[in-house]
Parts: sequence; C-alpha cells; structure tokens
Amino acid sequence: MSVMADKLAGVWPEITLGLGACVCMALGLAKASSTRKLTSWVAGLFLLLSGVLAIAGPQPTSGLILPPQMVLYVKLAVVAVGVVLLLVAAQLPSSWRATHRAEEGIEPFDPANVMRGEFFAFFLFSLAGVMLTTTANDLVWLFLSLELVSLPTYVMVATSQDRIRAQESAVKYFFLGALAVAVFLYGFTLIYGATGFTDLSRVQSAAATTTSPLLTLGIVLAIVGISFKIAAVPMHFYTADVYQGAATPVTAFLAFVPKTAGFVAIIILLSMLPQWPTHGPIMWLLWIMAALTMTVGNVMGLLQTSVKRTLAYSSIAHSGYLLVGLLAGPALLTSGGGGSGAIGNGIAAVLFYLVAYALSTIGAFAVLGCVQVDGHEADSFDDISGLSTKHPGLAAVMLVCVLSLVGLPPLLGFIGKIYLFGSAMAHRGENPAFVWLVVVAVLNSAVSAVYYLRIIGACYFGKPSGRTEPQHCPSRRIAALVCGIAVVVMGVAGNRLVTLARESSQLAQPSQQTPAKVVSDELPTDIHGG
Amino acid sequence: MNDIALAHYLFTGAVLFALGMVGFVTRRNMILMFLCTEMMFQGVVVSLVGFSRLHGNDTGQTFVIFVLTIAAAEAALALGLVVLLYRRKRTLDAGAWAELNG
Repeated sequence: MSVMADKLAGVWPEITLGLGACVCMALGLAKASSTRKLTSWVAGLFLLLSGVLAIAGPQPTSGLILPPQMVLYVKLAVVAVGVVLLLVAAQLPSSWRATHRAEEGIEPFDPANVMRGEFFAFFLFSLAGVMLTTTANDLVWLFLSLELVSLPTYVMVATSQDRIRAQESAVKYFFLGALAVAVFLYGFTLIYGATGFTDLSRVQSAAATTTSPLLTLGIVLAIVGISFKIAAVPMHFYTADVYQGAATPVTAFLAFVPKTAGFVAIIILLSMLPQWPTHGPIMWLLWIMAALTMTVGNVMGLLQTSVKRTLAYSSIAHSGYLLVGLLAGPALLTSGGGGSGAIGNGIAAVLFYLVAYALSTIGAFAVLGCVQVDGHEADSFDDISGLSTKHPGLAAVMLVCVLSLVGLPPLLGFIGKIYLFGSAMAHRGENPAFVWLVVVAVLNSAVSAVYYLRIIGACYFGKPSGRTEPQHCPSRRIAALVCGIAVVVMGVAGNRLVTLARESSQLAQPSQQTPAKVVSDELPTDIHGG
Repeated sequence: MNDIALAHYLFTGAVLFALGMVGFVTRRNMILMFLCTEMMFQGVVVSLVGFSRLHGNDTGQTFVIFVLTIAAAEAALALGLVVLLYRRKRTLDAGAWAELNG
C-alpha cells in the first residue's frame, strides 16, 4: 500500500489536470452557452491548482529517474507557459461565433465547427502528458505519457478552425505521428530486448554492466521516433503544414508542449547510458540531427511567404539549437561544485531555452492571432504589413519576441543561446566535433536573422493593407503583452531562472562517470554584469 | 513450440515492421496508410513477445497490452479523421490534399 501511495505522491498535479479535463468536458456539454464559456476559466483554475500541488503537494521519495528539482522545474514551466497558452486560446473567437450561429439556427450544426469544452479538456490532458513524462520511471510509462501528449493535439489541430486546411494538416500530423510512434516503440522494444527490463532504473544498471549494440540501436530508433515530437530532422516534414493549418493558439501550443515532452524523454533515454554519449553512434546521430535540423529550418525559413510557416521553420531550427545543448550533456564534475554558472551544463541550458523559446514564439503567435484578414487569422507577410501604424503595441511585442528569437542581447533568447552554445564549447575537451557544431549553429543564427528581420520589416516598414482588422480577443492581447514583457524582463534579470534550471539538472548518472577536465572557466560566465 | 527460436520471432517482427514502413511510404490511400502503421505496431508486438520469452519475464507481454490499447485509441482517431476528410473531399487519396504547400 505504501508503495502505491509513494507512486501516487509524484503525480498529484497530473491527477488534478485529469480531473480538470473531465470537469471541462462535462461543462462543455452544458445547455447554456454562458456556462460553456466558463470552461476556459475552469481549465485555468485546475492548471493553477496543479501548479500549487507541484510545489506544496506530497513529493515522491523514490522512483524518479530525473532529479526531483528538474521534475519540479519542468512541471512549473508547464503550468506557467500553460497559463499563457490558455490566455491565447481562451476564446478562439471564430469558433465561438460558429457555435453561436448554430445555436440560433442561422447555420446548420456541424460538429467539426463548433468549439466546446472538449478543446480545453484536451488542452489539459496534453499538459498532464508532459508532466507525466518527467516522472516516468518505466518504458511503458514513458510511452503512454508521450502518447498522452500527442493524441489530444491531433484533435486540437483538426477542430481548431473551420477551414479545410486545419483538417488537412491534422491528417498529415496524425499519420506522421503514428509512424513516429511505431519507430520509437520499436526502439523501446529493442531496449527491453537488450536489458530484459522496462523499469528504467533496472535498465540503467543493466546497461552499466554490459554494452550491447542492441541497446544502442534501440536508443537510436527511440530518438529518431521522438524527433517527431521535437520537430527535428528526419521527422520534421509535418511542421510547416501543421503550424500553418492549425489555428494560431493551437500552433503556439504545438511549439511548446510536444517539444518539451520530447526533450525530456530524450534526456531520460540518454541517462540510461552509463555515461553521456560524447563518442560513438548516438553522439554522431545527435550531431547530424542537430546540424541538419538547424540548416533545414533556417534555409527553408528564408523561402516562405507565410509568417506562420516562417515561424514553423524557426521552430525546427530552434530544435536544432536545443539539440546542441542536449549533446553537450550534464555539467562536468568540477571541483568548484558548480560555482561557475550554468555554462557547461547542457541540460540546464536546454531546460532554460525551452522556456525562453516558448515565451518568444508564443508572443509572436499571439500577435498574429490578434489580427484578422477577411475573417481569417493573419498568415502572410502582407497581412501583417504596416502593423505598427494601426497597432503599435502589437507591433512592439512582435519586435521584441522576434528579436529574442534572433538572439539579440539583452533579450531572453540571447541568454538562452549563450548557455546552449557555451555549454557545447565547454565540453569541447570531450570531443572536438562539438566546436564544429557550434560553428554551424552560429552561422545558422546569422542566416536566421534574415527572415526574422523580414517579419519586423513587414510590421514596421510595410505599407498598411486596408483589409486587416483587429480580432476582438482581450485575453490574447494580454498573453501577447505578458510574453513581450517576460522576454525583456527575464532577459535582463534572468539570472534567477538560470540558477533554477541549473540546480534542477544535476543529472544522476551512474557512478562510473570519469571526472573530466575543467574547461568551463575559460568562458565568460558573468554575462549579466555588463 | 520449442523449435521456434527467438530469431524467428524477431525476424517476423522486423519483417512486419519493415513492410509496414515501406507500405506507408508507397501507398496513397489513407486507410491503407493507416493499416500500414498498424502493421508496424504488430511488428513491435511480435518482437516484444519474443523478447519476453527470451528473458522469461512477463514485462514484455504487459507492454503489449498497453501497445494494443494505444493502437486502438489511434484507430478511433484515424477513422474519425478519415471520415471527416471523406465528407469534405469525397476521396481518400492522400495526394488530393494539397492546399498546404510551399
């Protein structure tokens, strides 16, 4: 009984989100539309409650693969970013209108077009999936939680807009998703085959004593399959279509939630190995994935005429940057006990950058969602042309968020990139190939500035098109504002967050880890000083 | 039963998985594409059972139950999506869905 209670102790936030999802579904069936409109508030309430439980609730004493601080960090990040995402999604005005028209009998009822409580139920289920991924201690658990993240998003994409392109993109998303699941499941099978366990701590100890090519192959396949979730090469094909086809709030959701779950899952899988892969096939797989993902994302981003597609390719490119940090791996065992800042700890950099990227990109998508053209959401560069004359506030948020995506100091994205690339440089003693990866990453950042500046150029110097009109959606404006402020404020005073991310990522590796040479202090660590 | 070695299970599983993947890439009918992903799942299931026999524990077979559950959930979702699309376009050809491009 106490084993069960201990297992439950770690998942109260997820249980809360699951309950919230059920309540949202029930509320969504209410007769009065005023009651149905409460679902977004109820969803927010349960989200905050799960955040409180994550901090103050019972903590598990054992059975976690990731360090408890890291689990807490990811859960809180999910809650915080989830609230912002909820603000972006809260009204989904086009759908509410369609629902209203169906109720009044003006239009025939079409279940695909009306938005009810189940959208928020799926929203909460998916967030619960990310939280469960962090607490996973078994391959079965990891598989189920990754599926819990993805299955609701397929429905969210399909029902997000009453345009046919939403459904088309949902089908593409779903089919590639099903393929990806099969691939990483085969990887999981091989991991089980190599070790004989699905319990991750036992896999860890079994992997420490024997090295088997089957285990390596299993982890390789699992990473390739999970690359669908993080929108990385070779499973990135859906990204542009889905980001463009889904309604903007759902696009913002996809940019954060599956990506976070995917990276957490890869971190869990790599911590199965006796030591972080700095050599060998897994290292080269991640190296090639990172280089290709960045390059494909940025080169394709240059060619787009749609802002949403451009941001989709930017999402691919950012996965590439994140993979650089992932490859660098956890902190070197320094004699100073981690006093040299977060540089050197790739995992902390990844955790930090996930939030930094999420806030920047959600801000940009929220601005897009605040403008509509001919009754549809803004999409092409022409649609946002001259945004600054009509909506200076929205244009300013777009400016700040996009510059953060470029990585311009002193914004949030700059700090994130310094930590990501800096940690790879700090680990160059382990493998000189890391240096080349950083070179590729920096070159890519420079290339990416071209298309990011196109977005800013369209907002500030484009000729205002007469067709744009503001979307009546106050909560989305609030979300845009929150992101804009967060990107600036956290960029300037982000030290606390970085420390939090670093503390949270003291990855528990098995004991054979060899004390590596301290190289991290050659890099400037006090980047906030200036 | 004993003369069926682990290799047979694994080979069958791998063949099912590979056939499914090839079919997924080459077929253009959406229901067939979905069935191909199901075939990949079955390849995984056969391998899991094989490994379960090799290691002499039930964990692999327990895993199978969960895989089948998720496969069923995906099937429900896939059929819903396919019906939705068929009502809109009157075709199941994946190539007819080309509004999003570029």
